[in-house]
Amino acid sequence: MENGKQKELRTLEGHYDRIESIEVARKALLDRKRMSMRFLMYLCFSLVFLIALGTAVILIITNSRVEKKLRFLEITNDLTVEISQARRFEKNFFLYGTNLNDALENIYHAKNILDQNRSELKKILGKDEHERIISSIISNINHYEILIDRLIKTEPSQMVSPKFHSTKKEIEAELRKYGREMIAFAQDLMKKERESLRRILSLSRNLHIYSLIFLLIFLMFVAYLFGSRLLSHINRFTTYAQRIASGNFTPITPTRRYRDEFTDLALAINQMTQELEEHEATIVQSHKMRAVGTLTAGVAHELNNPLNNITITAHMLLEDYDTMNKDEHIDMINDVINETDRSKKIISNLLDFARESSSQVESLGLEKLLRDTVDLASNQLKLSGIKISFQTTGNLPRIHGDGQQLQQVFLNLILNAVDASSKGKKIQILLVPADEPNYVAVKVIDTGKGIPEHIIGSIFDPFFTTKGKGKGTGLGLSVSQGIVGKHGGRISVSSREGAGAIFTVILPITTIPDKIMHQQVLL
Amino acid sequence: MSERLDVLILDDEPIVGKRLKPALAKIGCEVEIFVNSNEALDRINEKEFDIVVTDIRMENIDGLQVLEHVVKKSGRTKVIMLTGYAMMAVAREAMEKGAFDFIAKPFKPDDLRKIIAKAAKALGSPIDFNASDAGND
Repeated sequence: MENGKQKELRTLEGHYDRIESIEVARKALLDRKRMSMRFLMYLCFSLVFLIALGTAVILIITNSRVEKKLRFLEITNDLTVEISQARRFEKNFFLYGTNLNDALENIYHAKNILDQNRSELKKILGKDEHERIISSIISNINHYEILIDRLIKTEPSQMVSPKFHSTKKEIEAELRKYGREMIAFAQDLMKKERESLRRILSLSRNLHIYSLIFLLIFLMFVAYLFGSRLLSHINRFTTYAQRIASGNFTPITPTRRYRDEFTDLALAINQMTQELEEHEATIVQSHKMRAVGTLTAGVAHELNNPLNNITITAHMLLEDYDTMNKDEHIDMINDVINETDRSKKIISNLLDFARESSSQVESLGLEKLLRDTVDLASNQLKLSGIKISFQTTGNLPRIHGDGQQLQQVFLNLILNAVDASSKGKKIQILLVPADEPNYVAVKVIDTGKGIPEHIIGSIFDPFFTTKGKGKGTGLGLSVSQGIVGKHGGRISVSSREGAGAIFTVILPITTIPDKIMHQQVLL
Repeated sequence: MSERLDVLILDDEPIVGKRLKPALAKIGCEVEIFVNSNEALDRINEKEFDIVVTDIRMENIDGLQVLEHVVKKSGRTKVIMLTGYAMMAVAREAMEKGAFDFIAKPFKPDDLRKIIAKAAKALGSPIDFNASDAGND
């Protein structure tokens, strides 16, 4: 009783450890800055938009600059045309003596253009530049105009005077000088502006190309970032799924600095494993009860022998009480007592096994465990007329594990062997060192019908059964594999149809400190 | 008082023979008891018994094989089968193979005596069942 209570306590402790470890994992998972994939996605799209916006703004600015330059070119072109026209009239005047008023008109137009576009030019050229360039042009034009004016005014009266001729020559030279300078200024201005326009256009073209290249690289980087992050998450969770499928219910713990949507998934999976584990415990227990059910037939059968002995003895004692002496009475009563003890043993083995208890890890000697299991199955074996033998090399190291669950595994293998064997056959159980170092092997060998090659790959699958409807759940080997897997071992099978089968369970021996092993199996 | 009946009891539980021998002696049976089926078969080969009482489930040679052997050897010998937990299939098989009757464990000595009396009657040498009356019911 005391022992039972202690076991219960330790089991409860294990259960709390589990809940606690999941709680710790939950806290660790949540105790990180949240940087969700959605947030990152928004961030990246916003950045892309900002880049596009920046490019657009720069292009709009360049565009307006180009427009300004074009307008300026237009103005300077008009100016140049007017001035060239004036010079043409000037030339005609000196060559053919034609009217000079037209030249004056052109000059007037040119000044008008400068006047009208004063504010615009100021804007385009900037205040200082405007002052410098325009004032020099204007001063040139003014000089030119004054000279033309002088020519026109002097013409009618002094046309014939020789002094006029030299003055005319003088004026002509000066006119040419100013005219050339005007044209040169205007053309220089145009040339400069054209050059600057070309630069702006090429800058705008380069900006287009570079922003496209930058956007392409940025988008590739973003795609890579998201892709690899998603992929690494998916790979991680695939590993978790495989780990859980193999019976390792360790909670998922944080692996990254920030938490995101996959953290929610990890929390859900941790919750799920907790429930899975509870369900697994139920399946293991219910499968144990099926084994108990199978064993009950053998037990009931076996129990009838001591019961029969007791009945017969008691009846004969009652019948012949008076005619028998004291020694005979004692002999008969002792028979009754012994047979009652025998009955008790037959039942208690089964009851010990059937008792519900969850994972309970302790140091185990496999030899005793196997002998107990053989005892437990012996009634069933007798009923089926099958012999069993147990052999061991002896002196094998102990292992760590849940005795009840391992007994369930071995019992299941023995009962399967019984099912596969016909009357008179023999089942052999061997406990030997495994081929791998630090492992022991338990072999359950039968000479029954064997396992056909085409199904040997699926015998460990859940719900796979060769037994008839209602006879097998198809969970025995699957549950056994789960239990052995939790203990860090493996079950393997080799069989030839018609020649029997060998099931080998290998289990790690105790080489590391108890506590670590305890935790490892618990998880 | 009629002739004594030769009875062989075979059960691998020693107490069965030990307690049934005096019980059957009271109704006029000469009882030989065996716990090993090989030895019992040897004895059956030597001597023709009137009645053979045998357990069905035993190591090596089981009750059904003993039954077959007895039926082959001596047609008039009545075979009574003892079965553990009532297994109808096995009981039916035994009856088909020529068993006189079967009785399920656990049974009272009187249950067996009644069947022995029935068998004696069938053999044509009825026994006085009431001879065992002392202390019953």
